This record gives sequence, structure tokens and C-alpha cells, in this order.
Amino acid sequence: MADGQADVAEAPVCLTGAGMLRGAKDMLFALVSVVLFAMAFGVAARGAGLDGWATVLMSGVAFAGASQFAALELMTSPVPWIPLLAVVFAVNARHILMGAALCPWFGRLPFAQRLLPAYLMTDINWAQAIQAYDRGERDLGHLVGSGLLLWVTWLAGTGLGAALVDAVTIDLERLAIDLVFLLFFVCMLTGLRRGRSDDVAWLVAGGTALLAWHVLPAHWHVLAGAVAGGVAGLVHHERRP
Amino acid sequence: MSPSETILAVLAIGLVTYATRIGGILIMARLPVSPRIEAFLRYLSGSVLVALVVPPVIHGGPAAWLAVAVALAAMVKTRHALLSLVLGMATAAAYRALVEMPGLP
Repeated sequence: MADGQADVAEAPVCLTGAGMLRGAKDMLFALVSVVLFAMAFGVAARGAGLDGWATVLMSGVAFAGASQFAALELMTSPVPWIPLLAVVFAVNARHILMGAALCPWFGRLPFAQRLLPAYLMTDINWAQAIQAYDRGERDLGHLVGSGLLLWVTWLAGTGLGAALVDAVTIDLERLAIDLVFLLFFVCMLTGLRRGRSDDVAWLVAGGTALLAWHVLPAHWHVLAGAVAGGVAGLVHHERRP
Repeated sequence: MSPSETILAVLAIGLVTYATRIGGILIMARLPVSPRIEAFLRYLSGSVLVALVVPPVIHGGPAAWLAVAVALAAMVKTRHALLSLVLGMATAAAYRALVEMPGLP
């Protein structure tokens, strides 16, 4: 373990059931919060006018909480395709970096064996997998096991939340459920902030979005603000020594 | 939305999401991520959430403003997302019950 380089080169990478079990065990601590957030999504999606089956389908197919919340606002008829897919891409763009960070692990598996683990990679189990890799884990089953457990939990929670809306007559506004989506992102942003360079990007993003909200056709403000913020952050980032 | 429209939209969302997941693993394995791309993607993730949140909050009225302020304060103080979310919702619900719809039970 002292010489990391040699160690990585020699360690065999595999994907086994035992690894999956270890990954699932590492994920138990997070399940309660995952269920609650999934329920919040189920409720919010029904509040946004999505049918129960479509709500659960989205959780199963996309399996990416933040982008699912973000997409809700854009699930309208006719579908605003470009804003919808661009927003989903932008919210999920971090996956590209996360996947790249797992390359030492993924890189030495056959192509077919990478497809499922990639699908099951989320923020939580990615972070757990990175830590496990540092501890010497070389079984990619860790990511698959934790991911499968999260997927099932996410789906069950979503269904529960959606069913709750149908079972009990809830006044969404009275319980402030119409605000779940906004508050979810406010909390996420607070956790995401790493320092002052974020403030510059975020101020530009917010200002541009606000302006675009009045000037551009519906739904384009998110994209305008996101790109403006990304560029502003990059420029600020590169001007620092 | 018609069922077929919904299914199509959900599948498209899933496809784009999967592309971001497999993209990093397949492409970035071959091409090293340049620091510029990495910085842009990093700021993009936060900015998209800001752009999503700011206009509806500004136009959301006192209940939304109060809820966001309370959730933000709770998040800074406790770092507990779920607790902060619930506190924010409770604030908005209380404001609406007491101020905006006082006649209702």
C-alpha cells in the first residue's frame, strides 16, 4: 500500500456478489434520508401534474434526484424539448467528472461490464465507492450493490410519496408542498458552495436568469443563467493566480 | 401531457442522464479532462440550480421568501438538508395559515 502506483497496477479489478453485498452494507446509513427525499419527489411530481405511473417511471429511468426535480417544471405539453433536455444535461453534467474520477476502476473492466455500474452511479454511492477504493476495495460490485439498493429505495419512496397524494386529499399550497422543489435546491446549493469563486458564478447565474425570465420565451431562463454562470465562474477561476 | 408524450419525455431524460454517466467513463478515459472543461462543468452544476431557483423565489411572494430564508439559515447552522427543508416548509405553511388564508381551519 505504500507505493500506490505499483499497488494499483497489480490489484485485480473484478465484479462479484460479495462486493455487491459490501457496497449495499455501506449504503444502509443513507436509506432513511433517501426514502424521505424520494417521497418529497413523488409528492412534488404529483403536484406538478404528473401521473403516478409516470412519476415512478421517471425515478426508475432517470434515477437522478436533482434533475428529476428540475425537469418537473418543464414537463408540459407541448414538451419544451431543448430547454428540458439541456437543463437535465446541465444538472447532471457533474456525472462526467464523477465517472472520470472512477476511471482507474472502470478502465480495466470489459466494456459490457461497465454499462450497468455506470447507470447505478449517483452522488451518494460514488462518494462511498471513492472512499472504498482508497481503502483498497477493487471489486466494482461495491458500486453496483450500493447502487441497486439506492435504486430500489428511490423507486419505493417515489411510489409512496405519489400514493400519499392520491390517498389523502392534500391541499398542496396549504402544506407548502409547492415549495419543496425550490427549498430542495436551496439546501443543495448551500451544501455545494465551496467559496467565493462560486459566489461570482452564482450571482451572474441568478441575475441572468432573472433578466431572461422577463426577456426570453418561457423555460429558457434556466439555460441562459446556467451557461452565463458557468462562463463567469471559468473566467473568474482563470484570472486567479 | 398525453401518456405517449410523457413516456417520450421520460425516456429522453433518462437517455441524457445516462449519457452523462457513461460519458465520463468512456470518453474521459481516453481524453484527459482539461482544467478549463473541469472548471466550466463544476461552475455549471451550481449555476443551473441557481438559475432554476432565483426567478420563482423572487416572484414567489412573502411565503416563499420566508421559507427560503429559514431553510438557508437552518442549512448554514445545521448542515442537515432534510431538517432545513422541513423547517422551510413549516414556515411557509404557518405564514399561509396565519396571514394569507386566515379564515380557513
